[in-house]
Amino acid sequence: MFLVNDLIALLATNLILTQALGTSTLFIAAGSRKNLVGTAFMITIFTFAGSVSAYLADKLLPEKYSDFKLLIYVISISMLYVIILSALYFISRNNFENSRKYIHLSVFNCAVMGTLLTVSGRASENTSILKYMAAGLEAGTGFIISALILTAAYRKLNSANVPAAFRGFPAMMIYLGIISMAVYSLI
Amino acid sequence: MNKKKSSIFSGMLGNNIVLSSLMVVSPVIICGDTLKNAAALVYAFSAITFLSVMISSFVPTKLSYTVKIIIYAIISSFVYIPVKLAAQEFFPGAVERIGIYFPLLAVNSLIIFRSEAELYKLPKDHMIVKLIFYILGFDAVMIATGFVRELFAYGTINGRIVDVNTPVIGLAQPFGGFIFLGLFCGLYRCIRSAVINKKEDIRSDADVSCK
Repeated sequence: MFLVNDLIALLATNLILTQALGTSTLFIAAGSRKNLVGTAFMITIFTFAGSVSAYLADKLLPEKYSDFKLLIYVISISMLYVIILSALYFISRNNFENSRKYIHLSVFNCAVMGTLLTVSGRASENTSILKYMAAGLEAGTGFIISALILTAAYRKLNSANVPAAFRGFPAMMIYLGIISMAVYSLI
Repeated sequence: MNKKKSSIFSGMLGNNIVLSSLMVVSPVIICGDTLKNAAALVYAFSAITFLSVMISSFVPTKLSYTVKIIIYAIISSFVYIPVKLAAQEFFPGAVERIGIYFPLLAVNSLIIFRSEAELYKLPKDHMIVKLIFYILGFDAVMIATGFVRELFAYGTINGRIVDVNTPVIGLAQPFGGFIFLGLFCGLYRCIRSAVINKKEDIRSDADVSCK
């Protein structure tokens, strides 16, 4: 029962299905299993680690400078970007060549930046760092769930049975709309 | 020469960033439910993108890809601040209504990725024209989406009540945005392929007449 409740909560707070964040990246991720794993993994790392920096920025930045929040988030994600690229380069150069495209694809993505802004918008003064981290992890998991839902229908939506004008992106968009409608009924 | 010219102007119709490349779709899906929101987003996107790309075009091309991407994002986050302050003056309440999608426009794919992959490789005058047409392409989609969704979801145009018998309230919701944009995208492709086919026909007719 707890699992069902958790799954419903994950769907109801899903950033793609309820806020359309990271939609175009999702279409790339759903294209193949390799893309799905690579992109979802990188987005989860960025949202999880980024939420920690969002917590620090929210706590340390005075309210009158709140317009600089985006700049601070961008700088934190940039630092993370460089750290991840460097770490991957030094750990395994072969993997670096294969995996860096997922890092480039995920950084400054709507799913990542949108998560930081959403978490920060929902937080109050008493919100702990754990809640920020949980929200970051939730966003990454939500991306994986949406990608899996889209992967299930990806081939059919791109098949020759779909009229040429609607094949691919338009059909996937309508499909996501129908899934989003189902999720909307849970909220 | 004509091909080169048409590729510069294609950002608005032939190669629309929203309908063709699926860039910056989240604000269109979520906030494009009224004309007022659409107008505020048009202003924000146009101002942030134009200024950011223009300033970023002075970044040395010799730098590595990662460094350039970071610099572009930082520049656009700086540009976002005065644009937001101006929006609070000219579109009161819009910044609150649009919420997180306003700052998200500052890290849109056109500024961060498309500019690096395409725009900065062009001569400056071509780059400016192409950028303007990309921006106009987004603006046109945003206004059309805002107009249709407001009309059918709320039965109003820019807040004024019009005679719509059965409002489709779901069109104002995110799922309505997804479905509407999917249909819009399909219609756009239909028209585009019809226009291309027509052009091909005209060309082949011309070839026959020449012979």
